[in-house]
Amino acid sequence: MSTVEQTPPTPGSGGPPSAPAPRGHGSGAVTGVAWTVLPYVASVVLAFLVGGLLIQAMGYSAVDALEAVLTSSFDSRFGMVETLHKWVPIVLCAYAFAIPLATGKFNIGAEGQLLLGATGGAAIGITFSDLPAVLLLPAMLVAGVLAGALWAGIAAVLLVRFRVNEVLSTVLLNFVSFRLIDWVATSVWPDAGAGHPATTPVGDGARLPLIGEAPGLHSGVLLVLALAVFIAVGMRFTPTGFEMRAVGDNPRASLINGVKTSRLAGAGLVIGGGAAGLAGAIDVAGVQGRMLEGMQSNFLILGIIVGLMARGSMLALPFIAFGIAVLEFGAGTMQLVASVPVEMVLVIEALILLFLLLSDIVRNRLRGAA
Amino acid sequence: MTTAPRLEMTEVVKTFGPVRALDAVSLQVGAREVHGLLGGNGAGKTTLMNVLFGLYRADSGAVRIDGREVTITSPRDAIELGVGMVHQTFLQVDTYTVVENVVLGTTLEGGSHGAGLSAARARIADISERFGLHVDPDAVMEELPVGIRQRVEIIKALYRGASVLILDEPTTNLTPQEVDALFTSLRTMVAEGMSVILITHKIRETLAVCDKMTVMRDGARVQTLDRAETDADHLAAIMVGESHGTYQAPTVTEAVALGTAPQGTVVGDVPETTFEPGVSVRGMTVRNDHDVELISGFDLEVGKGEIVGFAGVAGNGQVELAETLAGVRPLQSGSITIDDLVLSDRATAQWLDAGVAYVPEDRHRDGILPTSGITENLLLGSHRSARVRKSGLIDWRAARQRAQEAIEKFAIRADSPATRAGDLSGGNIQRVILARAFAHRPRLLVLHNPTRGLDIGSTRFVYEQIREVTAAGCSVVVISEDLDEVIAIADRVIALYQGSQAGEWRSDRVDPYEIGRRMTGLGTSVGGAA
Repeated sequence: MSTVEQTPPTPGSGGPPSAPAPRGHGSGAVTGVAWTVLPYVASVVLAFLVGGLLIQAMGYSAVDALEAVLTSSFDSRFGMVETLHKWVPIVLCAYAFAIPLATGKFNIGAEGQLLLGATGGAAIGITFSDLPAVLLLPAMLVAGVLAGALWAGIAAVLLVRFRVNEVLSTVLLNFVSFRLIDWVATSVWPDAGAGHPATTPVGDGARLPLIGEAPGLHSGVLLVLALAVFIAVGMRFTPTGFEMRAVGDNPRASLINGVKTSRLAGAGLVIGGGAAGLAGAIDVAGVQGRMLEGMQSNFLILGIIVGLMARGSMLALPFIAFGIAVLEFGAGTMQLVASVPVEMVLVIEALILLFLLLSDIVRNRLRGAA
Repeated sequence: MTTAPRLEMTEVVKTFGPVRALDAVSLQVGAREVHGLLGGNGAGKTTLMNVLFGLYRADSGAVRIDGREVTITSPRDAIELGVGMVHQTFLQVDTYTVVENVVLGTTLEGGSHGAGLSAARARIADISERFGLHVDPDAVMEELPVGIRQRVEIIKALYRGASVLILDEPTTNLTPQEVDALFTSLRTMVAEGMSVILITHKIRETLAVCDKMTVMRDGARVQTLDRAETDADHLAAIMVGESHGTYQAPTVTEAVALGTAPQGTVVGDVPETTFEPGVSVRGMTVRNDHDVELISGFDLEVGKGEIVGFAGVAGNGQVELAETLAGVRPLQSGSITIDDLVLSDRATAQWLDAGVAYVPEDRHRDGILPTSGITENLLLGSHRSARVRKSGLIDWRAARQRAQEAIEKFAIRADSPATRAGDLSGGNIQRVILARAFAHRPRLLVLHNPTRGLDIGSTRFVYEQIREVTAAGCSVVVISEDLDEVIAIADRVIALYQGSQAGEWRSDRVDPYEIGRRMTGLGTSVGGAA
């Protein structure tokens, strides 16, 4: 019995932001879409406004800075290629967060899973460096997925078997992964000439083919694009995807209606880990050509931001990730052009998320008053 | 007397968005009066009283107490003006004693904490003595049954100087004996000059204790009557409303819903039938959430088309029993079979496939996906069945079609199949849950408090649906805290006390007081109120 008797809590109300319900036909659908899109637009505009004021207050030119942030991705082919190359790990780390979140679990371990994926991919790419690309490339990507999934699987087993909180386990596994890749990069396949803890390069057959004239776009972008479609369809149309969303909405009701909730929660973590692992393997195969320390960058936090912004919509997630990738690439140009520190972009991203979450409250107020 | 009434509410209007919850409602309550506020759920009774208690702010209208116009914007204002309210769910600190719970939030008189508490204890003793609200002031809250906890809430209001006491559906969880004791206390209070407002949907109760009654329907006051000038049928007619066509004597199920069913006499139109064997429970042992064995060696037979009702005070194993029979909670030992198909030890999904349907007590917590649409909610549980899949993927068009049909068949009030279940009213949520349960073509239907908080229309609908599935040979187990309900719809009534069967009766030969004694752990030989 509970300590204080209260009206029963409504499941989901205090939980993660959830997907807007699919809309029906007719005029309701139009207003429904408007209600969904409007908060995003308003949040972005407000975040840029506040960010701009901050930049101005710091003594820089807000107009120059924001222009650089917003346009540099689209100014040149180089900008677009770099943006898409950034998009890949961001979107995959966002899946790593959002898929477990759909079942109500928080995966804060995407960077560890990414690093493990990179290590797994690099291990195959280095060990079997003489194999042709048709064999080596798929093998290395699969190894990356498996390594990431396995790493998240530790947290999943701890969760399902021993009820260890997944936030704790995934965060702590990040730290373990740092030590692990440090050992791999300095003792197992160290590249002494790199001047930075890194492995020796992977074989040529482990490199993703580039598309178009230089600077070429690596084909991992297309792979992730296909994956995005697959995930959106899977979450919406497969019974398992439906169960995941049901568990995220109300685990008790799902359990009572025959869903094996704890098993699904574990599966969500493993799939998320696989996505992050793929991000690592693609980064090795497409961008770095080797596994190196620090390649996780800030993809963990960006993945969480994107995952939260998507509010459970696997359809919206890749687009939001692209928007964040644009900002991330623009950050460098901004520092160059307007000498505003790159961290300012993270501030703006955080503001967008903050305003977006606030918009829920505003929207509920407006709806209540209407 | 020519003085102003104790309480006068005039033309109170309250809207929630587009919904007009109170439509210019007026209410007059005199001193020395128990005033019944009668109506189905959603009639606006509780809303009106929440306005009086300062929980809601009225859009317009006036409140006068003893002739003086007052503005009440918070419960604190209300208490200062002598208005006290006992809600359906109590906000009590389980680990505190009765005295501590009563004084919580008040300023203690007298110097030190200890001295203040002992003064408070004396006042509490005085109050419980005067009004017959017997309670041990030093008992720890969590050890007290619901009936006593309610007394504590009433004492709390009186301790704060209430002269107008509002009780919201106070009899829901009480045994007949406790109801009698409560009503005696209420009569003592008004004899001393207080006013009591009793929110209820049960006509029998209002007739038993009220001097006057105001009937509400759809947010409006229909009529205010004197006890002397009305009777049960008359009140029922007013409550149901003329909109339902010419008035006819209420059917059994309606009588239950309205609380007019006479007790201790033949209630149901249940023929002397024997049922074909259907569901069989043998030696079932179940643990609660704290791994304590709550139910042990439990045997039960439910025939095809038979309704077995479990009556009991909440917390006597109802949840565990319901969940186990529904395949949600594992058995420690024993077996459950339907038509010789052994279900125990199987996964919940397989119980569903075998035709076990469950309507849980807590609709919000256990019943629905609040942020998903009706379509998704109706799909849940049958989402792996081949009927809703096209080449492996969920056929949402077909699912929406089915949801639309259910909305029509079950009269769910919703804009479209995409309406979020969490946005529906309690009655409509229950209709969604029933629609889902019946879509499984149940062979065993387990219902836990299926009509709690529902209006008359929805209650009647639930009963009709239950009768429909029994006609098709489904075994039904109803677990309810509403004794009247159990007696009226079940073929057999079993009293549940601390996880055991404390007595069994044919429902046309029951004495509610006898059931009341058994479900509170008293034997047959003990007479009188508990």
